[in-house]
Amino acid sequence: MKNKTNRKKFSRTLIFLALWAVGLLFLAPMVLTFTNSFMSAEEITVHYGEVLSQSTGGGDYMTEAVRLQFIPDIVSFRQYKTFLLECPKYLYKFWNSVFLVVPIVTLQVAVAALAAYGFALYQGRGRRILFFSYILLMLLPSQVTLVPNYLMAKWLKILNTRLAVILPGIFTPFSVYLLSKAMGRIPKEQIEAASLDGAGPWRTFTQVVLPQCKSTMYSVIILVFIDNWNMVEQVLVLLTDEDKQPLSVFLSQINAGEVSLAFAVATVYMIPPLLLFLHGEEHLAAGIADSGNWKE
Amino acid sequence: MAAISLQHITKVYDKGVTAVQDFCLDIADGEFIVLVGPSGCGKSTTLRMIAGLEDITSGQLLIDGAAMNDVPPKEWDIAMVFQSYALYPHMTVYDNMAFALKMRKTPKEEIDRRVRAAAETLNITDILTRKPKALSGGQQQRAAIGRAIVREPKVFLMDEPLSNLDAKLRSQTRTELMRLRHRIDATFIYVTHDQTEAMTLGDRIVVMKDGYIQQIGTPQEVFRQPKNMFVAGFIGSPQMNFLPASLAGSSLTISHETGQAHIGLPNLVTDADAARPVVAGIRPEHITLAPAPTPDALTAHLEAAETTGSETWLHLTIAESPVVVRIPADSYSPEMDKAPIYIKPQHERIHLFDPDTERRLDGK
Repeated sequence: MKNKTNRKKFSRTLIFLALWAVGLLFLAPMVLTFTNSFMSAEEITVHYGEVLSQSTGGGDYMTEAVRLQFIPDIVSFRQYKTFLLECPKYLYKFWNSVFLVVPIVTLQVAVAALAAYGFALYQGRGRRILFFSYILLMLLPSQVTLVPNYLMAKWLKILNTRLAVILPGIFTPFSVYLLSKAMGRIPKEQIEAASLDGAGPWRTFTQVVLPQCKSTMYSVIILVFIDNWNMVEQVLVLLTDEDKQPLSVFLSQINAGEVSLAFAVATVYMIPPLLLFLHGEEHLAAGIADSGNWKE
Repeated sequence: MAAISLQHITKVYDKGVTAVQDFCLDIADGEFIVLVGPSGCGKSTTLRMIAGLEDITSGQLLIDGAAMNDVPPKEWDIAMVFQSYALYPHMTVYDNMAFALKMRKTPKEEIDRRVRAAAETLNITDILTRKPKALSGGQQQRAAIGRAIVREPKVFLMDEPLSNLDAKLRSQTRTELMRLRHRIDATFIYVTHDQTEAMTLGDRIVVMKDGYIQQIGTPQEVFRQPKNMFVAGFIGSPQMNFLPASLAGSSLTISHETGQAHIGLPNLVTDADAARPVVAGIRPEHITLAPAPTPDALTAHLEAAETTGSETWLHLTIAESPVVVRIPADSYSPEMDKAPIYIKPQHERIHLFDPDTERRLDGK
């Protein structure tokens, strides 16, 4: 009996350790980025020098000469100083990211909420077909719609402006889908009660429907923010002017140079989505749950 | 208060399903009307048409003489209590009650005064700061009524507001509604499938079936003089017994297991002397037990007995027809299932119906 209990304890400890190992493995890149952001340029060159020399020559990206080191030999704020004060072009890129993502998120949520309200609560003709085509669009990867977006931007003469990235970013079916599912769960009687109480469609939307979709709204905000914060392809095709490009593009081309700065830039880059996630973590889970179990 | 007139109202849904057919009713100022009928009879659809939540396919709806067919619901002075209560879950009870007044841009002080007055009337002052999720079914129901009365509407619509409550709470709330209706100056239209609610609350009852009105009348009229077998069976609990019989002059003959019972109907005025088939409708409380067989008694066998406390319902069979008899609990003894039972219908309380049309025959 005692033997059995001991064996059980042992296997539990083993599972626990294995899970910790996997967890640490996932966390390692983040921790590495954060701790290495406090390394001096010289130390980075010593550890990751090969990255610099190989990447410029167009050869292999990582070589055996790269030595991952978590703890800096000397803690230095040099990277942050360069990024934030001495070399403002990267800070501009950070703000470029903000100027692109904030309008996309704000307008997308506004447009999606209105469209979802229509889909969920009005039974007009063609609603099902329209909704189905929305779902089909959602299944298409963004790369497929990139060329039509390029052609449209060219036709609208907005190519190489922020609008070329913002406009297609606003109209994405995924948010409409999530929100219409959440709104569809609101009992019809509540909408009817609101209309008898004297609320028109707009007041019903803002005062009865939206407050009940707060969690889903929050999850949409987080997901859309993260999705657009990390965009690269759209920008490379639609916004070629380097001065207007976001930080995500710089980070994707990190092998082109400036590795000594990359860790601090990446750390700052992680902060906004991380804060957003931490602030709305509970809403994210509830919001995704709210969007399930929907009867059309 | 408001007078409502429904003139030849018909509702046909997109798929061709007719929910309400040629509904005609004039509701007086301050009247309490109950629409009653089984599920799918069109009572809720009628109420929703009055509320403006459903389009009227044909016919006219007049409120105080003004045609309301095409007026949006928010412009009507109507409040409705839904079966599911439809409280806004993100608002407190106070905000739920204040919502309609806010929509009408009522001053804050006035909103507060009216919400608190309504809460006091309904005894829900202590739950004003709570959200619907934290309320019991009964409290939610009161909050829903509160939300309606705070508006001081001309017309109150109630769609099965008690159906989600347990039996005890339903009976309590029914009594409260009776009290409330005398305190509120409004016209009430109440939908239910429960005939007890219909009988106790309504000034007049509208009995519906398959989209048609079967009978309109006071509870007593509908109970005492049902126009057809459906109304007779629907109103009254346990429901009326129906026995095949034949009528010749003023003598009613009902076959039973050991022969025929001849019951004289002195109140019946009829010219026809030839025997004709009829359906005799007898309410369970209008049958008495006879100690021995007599020419006007029916012989029956006991199938089961249900004791409800003060009374017992005897489930009998007479020539294969089921019959329920309601007797005082003291009159029942377990010995009854061992021998035939003799029952005598009270002749002045027998209802006669045409077996083909199911319509009432006598003019009583």
